[in-house]
Formats: sequence, structure tokens, C-alpha cells
Amino acid sequence: MKTDVVVVGGGPAAHRLAARLVQYGHRGTVTVIGAEDNAPYNRALLGSVLDGTLSPGQLTLPALPSTVRLLTGTRVRTIDRARHTVRLDDGRELTYDVLVLATGARPRLPWVPGLVTARGQLADGVRTVRTATDCHPLPAGPVTVLGGGILGVESALRLRRAGHEVTLVHREHALMERYFDAGACAVLDDLLAERGVAVQLGRRATEFMPGKLVLDDGQVVAAGTLLLCTGVEPETAPARACELAVRDGVVVDDRLRTSDPHIHAIGDCAEHAGAVGATVTGAWEQADALARILTGTNRPFSPSPQVLRPRIADFDAVALTPASAKGIEEAEETISLMDRAGGRYAWLALRGGRIQRGVVIGPAVAAVGFLHERAAVLPEDRLALLTGSDGTYAEDGVLPDDAVVCHCNNVTHAALRQAWTGGAHDPAALARATRATTGCGSCTGVVRELCATLGSPPQAQGGAS
Amino acid sequence: MRTRTLVVAGYGMAGHRLVEEMRTGNRGDADGTWRIVVLAEEPRPAYDRVALSSLLSGASARDLTLAGPDVLGDPRVEVHLHSPVTGIDRTAGTVTCAKGRVFGYDALVLATGSRPFVPPVPGRELPGCFVYRTVEDIDAIRAAAQPGRDAVVVGGGLLGLEAAGGLRQLGMRPHVVEMAPWLMAQQIDAGGGRVLAEAIARLGVRVHCSTVLRGIEPGANGRAARVTLDDGTVVDAPLVVFSAGVRPRDELADPAALARAERGGFLVDQWCRTADERVWAIGECAAVEGRCHGLAAPGYRMAETVARQLLGREGDAFAGADASARLKLLGVDVAGFGDAHARTGGSIEYVREDRRAGTYAKVVLDRDGRTLLGGVLAGDTRAYPVLRALTGRELTASPDTLLTGA
Repeated sequence: MKTDVVVVGGGPAAHRLAARLVQYGHRGTVTVIGAEDNAPYNRALLGSVLDGTLSPGQLTLPALPSTVRLLTGTRVRTIDRARHTVRLDDGRELTYDVLVLATGARPRLPWVPGLVTARGQLADGVRTVRTATDCHPLPAGPVTVLGGGILGVESALRLRRAGHEVTLVHREHALMERYFDAGACAVLDDLLAERGVAVQLGRRATEFMPGKLVLDDGQVVAAGTLLLCTGVEPETAPARACELAVRDGVVVDDRLRTSDPHIHAIGDCAEHAGAVGATVTGAWEQADALARILTGTNRPFSPSPQVLRPRIADFDAVALTPASAKGIEEAEETISLMDRAGGRYAWLALRGGRIQRGVVIGPAVAAVGFLHERAAVLPEDRLALLTGSDGTYAEDGVLPDDAVVCHCNNVTHAALRQAWTGGAHDPAALARATRATTGCGSCTGVVRELCATLGSPPQAQGGAS
Repeated sequence: MRTRTLVVAGYGMAGHRLVEEMRTGNRGDADGTWRIVVLAEEPRPAYDRVALSSLLSGASARDLTLAGPDVLGDPRVEVHLHSPVTGIDRTAGTVTCAKGRVFGYDALVLATGSRPFVPPVPGRELPGCFVYRTVEDIDAIRAAAQPGRDAVVVGGGLLGLEAAGGLRQLGMRPHVVEMAPWLMAQQIDAGGGRVLAEAIARLGVRVHCSTVLRGIEPGANGRAARVTLDDGTVVDAPLVVFSAGVRPRDELADPAALARAERGGFLVDQWCRTADERVWAIGECAAVEGRCHGLAAPGYRMAETVARQLLGREGDAFAGADASARLKLLGVDVAGFGDAHARTGGSIEYVREDRRAGTYAKVVLDRDGRTLLGGVLAGDTRAYPVLRALTGRELTASPDTLLTGA
């Protein structure tokens, strides 16, 4: 059956959907309607434009197949669900068999006096990081980043690296608190301090004036540029206008369908299983799933475990979360590593030896991410996994000679062995000869094991641990 | 060849260890033999104070005895009970005891121990309030116990939890009140404390952390009846046990012009010697280089150090001791060893917690991740002896292997 697909939105989700539809042999037309003037580009890399690492042109995604019709700089004005048509702001009308909303999200602007001009524009010096238009390199001078989520932290560090004086203001008491636990936050705090980003936690902005931001405790921070990283809200206006079910985002089912079976929604504007997407990888996954659904696969969409990796130079971190609320079963076990001096941290919740969720900072990110992705059972030496060490140990499992076995009576391993050689061949005899085990008794097991080891044939010795 | 006299002031666990060390080492003493005079305050010879709680689960005072007939029958050892030392004349080299007798000494070792610390809360003198230190204290608690009623234990350290276990054995419903945010804060960390609190709560022991006693009010009979905590909790309890730490028994210091440490205790050097070369102090009353030690094992090390000096032998000075301990409290295994709180600069903490099994294990490693510095175990302490033996050394296997006993 030939179906004509119209995609509203021209971001990464729309781009991926169009490309996959062609790849999976979709029959019928594919039209992509982008509001921005640019061809689809990778929004997730906009931070690299801010600090001048990449130029906007380098973000452009691969050209779509020629069979895809791409309209840029064009907005959808109305959707007529009864007639299956969309009307564009230039007056054109397109007919669809399947309509896909991929309208993304827009920056959420906090209510701070001075932020927005009387004409509804952002004041001079106030910037967001959402579209290629608002993302050109920042002028020299001090920057204040408002919002300490992933984007805020990434941006603050990037701009600091590019030579700006940077202050990061966050209203919560911990950075990236939606993804990081207290331990990870502590290591992140250390990183920001070490790299010279001033951090103001638990503070709200009360007023923006040219060049400075006033905080709720009266402090004034330099803000030649004020970068808003205060989150996004799903762009649901077109969906509301045609009376589709909308909560935080456009509500979709396991086939990524809205309340109208001819209309789908994907990416940052969609709300699946109670969750609105937040990452480009999540949006791509939905685009791919929908392309399969529209080309005949009957498999419902089921999100992969969410993996969040902040893009911070020389700082590997990942937050691993279950794919859906259903995945958050009570963990059976947790393991954690805190190495603040070394900038390493890990916290993993396990079930059946497999990772349920967690946070990792440091060189273990890759190995842990690999095990998480494959839902593999963790190796026995979990410490070596978390530290990234080679897993070799001293003495090959044998207690060193001068190790004190009985602390109540200060008896060393060597003293026990000597007593054995002198004829004390069982725990009672060793106790008489050395006093070991006669204090609190907690070393009895070790002494018994020592008797077993020393009493066994020589070739069996040495491997015991 | 001349017989010299060693006077030991106090006959607790440290004093007893000193006597034992002197007896076993005396034979080869080149300068002649020592006569040992032990002046004890308690009505019985040294006993195992650490095992005091076993008296509440069927053991008798006799079972705890450390000083057997071999010691008491040794002609070189004189033990005087009910005879605490009341004064020291360092010029004359004599001590006076409570019965008025005077003993000359060539060497004096102070092993007077410590006394329970009772926080200054209103009502602490009421009948029904007890401390937890001696066989007599335990007897009194047993006599006052009222099965089925609530009881309050002040202090969630090692001794407090033992007391709570004992009261439970007596059929009472114990509440434990601890000032710190978690139980046994000296030995274990917050995670271990949480596992411990959960486990003992399942046994019906109520735990109140981060709070203190506000006061104890008497009932109509004039005995303790109602305990109020600072967080507003009120417990109708006819029995209160104070186990909120100890203070060194150093009251002999001032009259004898011996120095005291800032926070109490006879000030001694690392050889456990006071400024007077004939006077030493060991055990809980000794502030070795200013620091007191409240466990049995450090007291033993001090006793050994002093015995070697008296016998003219080579040996090491007292090297300090950590607060390592492995206990079974109310059926819950708990242990802390070495740098349990990861206070060493740059140290790494590795934690495994199994919620199903109710076990918690933390190992603290130095910055290279290879040397074991300390740790905490709760719910399962089978790995304790090996980990304790390896403390301060390179790991011989993965902590995961050592902890799971694989």
C-alpha cells in the first residue's frame, strides 16, 4: 500500500525518520517540513559552536535521499484531521496518509525581570542553546550559565576552556541532580572547582541587567553573556491546536501513535509511557522504530536503557537508567567506588549480577557501559572493573609472613608457622604455643585454615586464598 | 640479687595481663625476681569485662574469671581485694590503699581503668538508673528488670548495644538512644550503621539516633518511670542503662603531682611511663602520648610493653592501636577495622551491599588502589580476620574474592 508521509519538524528526529523510511523501502512520498532555514543538523553538538570548536555548517546531517521532499524555513499553520491535510504558512496545502509530529522542544525561559524585552525578545547578551540561529560564538568576557543540568554543566566547562570567566548558577543544591547521586555530584564539584568554574548552588536569579545577574541572596555575578540552560519544554502547540491528547508532551502509544491513529509523534515533543525524551539518541531510536512500524514491521516500540553521557573534555561520565518505569525493580545489590582524589566514582544497582541503573565517572565508563548495554553479568572482580585496574594482586593469595593473625595477642603468620614446625599441628596446640585465638577468638577460622594448608601435601599449597 | 616489688594499682584486664607477662617472663630476669602486689578495688579478681553481657544469658561470674588458681596461688603474687589505692608517695616510693595499709614499691603500674560516663541529665540519680561496667552492675540490672516493659539504653556504641541485647534477654523492650547519626559511629560508617539498625529493629529494638536524653522523671514510687528525648519522644521506662562512654580513673594524679592529659588519663610516653621513671600507667587510665584507648587489646599491648621494661628485655614501644572490633550484637555481625572512616588523604572507598542478604561491606584502599587501609563489615563478618591481617598491606586477592570467601 502506498502511503504519503508528512513530517512536521526538520530536526534530527525528522531527518532520521525520512532517511530510514527510504532505506526500509517505504512506498509513497515523504515530505519534511522544517521551520528553520538550515537543512537538518545535529542539535546535540551546538555547544561546540558556542565555544568556537565547530562552525554551524559542520553540524549539518548527511543529505537526505533525493526522493525525500525537504521544505525549510516553512511552518505548518493548521492541521485538518478530518481532511488529512496540513496548511503551511505560505498558503500551500499538503495531503497526508500519515502525519508525524517531530516538532521538538523549545528552551524554557525562567521568569527573571530583565531577561525579555518589552517586545518579547531576549535581552541583549541573553542566549539560549537550541537552534543554529541563536548559536554563534560568544563574545569575549564573563559568562554566567543559568541552570546546572547536563547542558549547563557542559556549556560552563566548554566556555571556561575557551577562556571565558564562567559562573554557573543552579537553583538546586547539586549539579545534574536528576542523573547524578550525591557521590557523583561531589566528584563533579571537584572538577568544576579544579577547572575554575565558579558555582553557585541553591540560588535563583532575581534580575538581569546588562552585564550582570543578581541572585536571590543579593550577590551580583558578572554576565557579559547570560546563557540560559534552564531546560526545554516540548513543542506541543500544533498538537494542541488540532486537539490531540497532550500532557507534558504529545501522548503516544507503543506504536508511537497519538490519539489520532493517522498521526504519530517522535522525539522531544512526544511523551511515551509517561516520559518525555531528552536525548538525541532517544529521538533517533524512536525515528528508527517508527520507520519500521510504517514500513510494515509490527513490533511495538520499546525504548532501550537510557544512557546519558555528558560531553565534557577529559571527563568520562555516564548515567545509566532503566528504559522504562517497569525496569526500576528493587535492586538486590549495590556496589560503589569513591575515589575523590582520583576523580573516580561509581554506583551501580544490580539485579542478578546485572546492572539495573547507576552512575560512573572515570575510566570504567566504557567497560561498565558495555556490560549495561548487553545486560551482561558483572565479572567477579568488580573492584577491578570499577577502578579499571588489571586485577593482579600481591602474593597470589597467600598471607604475608609478618601479617598479624591474632591481634589480641599480637601473633604473626610467621610465628604460627614456626609453632607448626615446632610440632603444634592443630588449633588447640597452636593456641597453647602462641596464644593465638585465645583473645576475642575472631581469628579461629584463619588459624584452622592455616592448619589445613600446612597439613596438606606441598603441591596443594600456595594457591589458597 | 635482690627481690624488687612491683605494685599494680587495679586488677582489671590490663592489670591482669601485666601480672601474667611478669609471671611468664620472671624466670630469666637477671637482676633478680619481682614480687608482685596487686591492689584491686573490686571484690573479685580480674575477669573478662568484654564478656560481661554473657551474665545476662546464663553465664556466671566464675565463667568470666581470668585469674585462675595458678595466679592466685603463685607465691610471688599477692592480690588484695577491696583495696583500691588512695594515695601515692613518690618520694618515699609507697602507696596507701583504702584499708590503710602501706606498700613500698620499686615500680608502680597504674591500671585503674575507667568509669562510665553519665551525662548530666535530670533524674540520672533515680533508682532504676544503672551503669554497665562491673559484675555488680549487671546483677543489679537483672534484679531490676521488668519483663514486658520498655527500657532505655543511653549510648549506641558497642557496650550500649550489648546492654540492649542483655535487656532483651531479660524480656524487656529496649530503646537505644545515640547522639551520633548512626550506631557504633566510632567503629563503622553510615552504611554499616544503617544495616545494623535495620537488623536490630527487626528484633524489636527501637533505635533513636541523632538525639540525646532530655530527662528522666520519677513515678509515684520514686523510681525512674518516664524518659524524654530531645526529639520529643517519650518512653515509659522503669529502667535506664547509661553506656555513653567512659572516662579514665585518674584521680590519683593530682595528689601525687603526676601529669594528666588534656582530656584526662595519666599522661605517659610511648613506653607507658610517666615523668617519674618508677611509675607507669596502662589500660584505659593511660593517656599514651595524650591519647586514651578504650578497648582490651591496646591495654594488653601496653601491659606487654611495661613488662618487657621491668624484665629488662628488648622490645618495641606501644605503637598505638586502632579501634578495630568484630562483634556479634543482638545476633548481627559487625566489624570495623583500620581506617574505617576513610580519613587517610586520597583514600578510595569500595562498597558492596546486598539488600536481600542484609550485608554491607566497605574496604578502604590507599590512592593506588592496592593497599588495604581498613573497612567496615555488617551482616557478615567472615572476611574480618583475613582483611584485618592484611590491613596496611597490599591486597593478596580482589576484595570481592576476600569478601565473598570465594
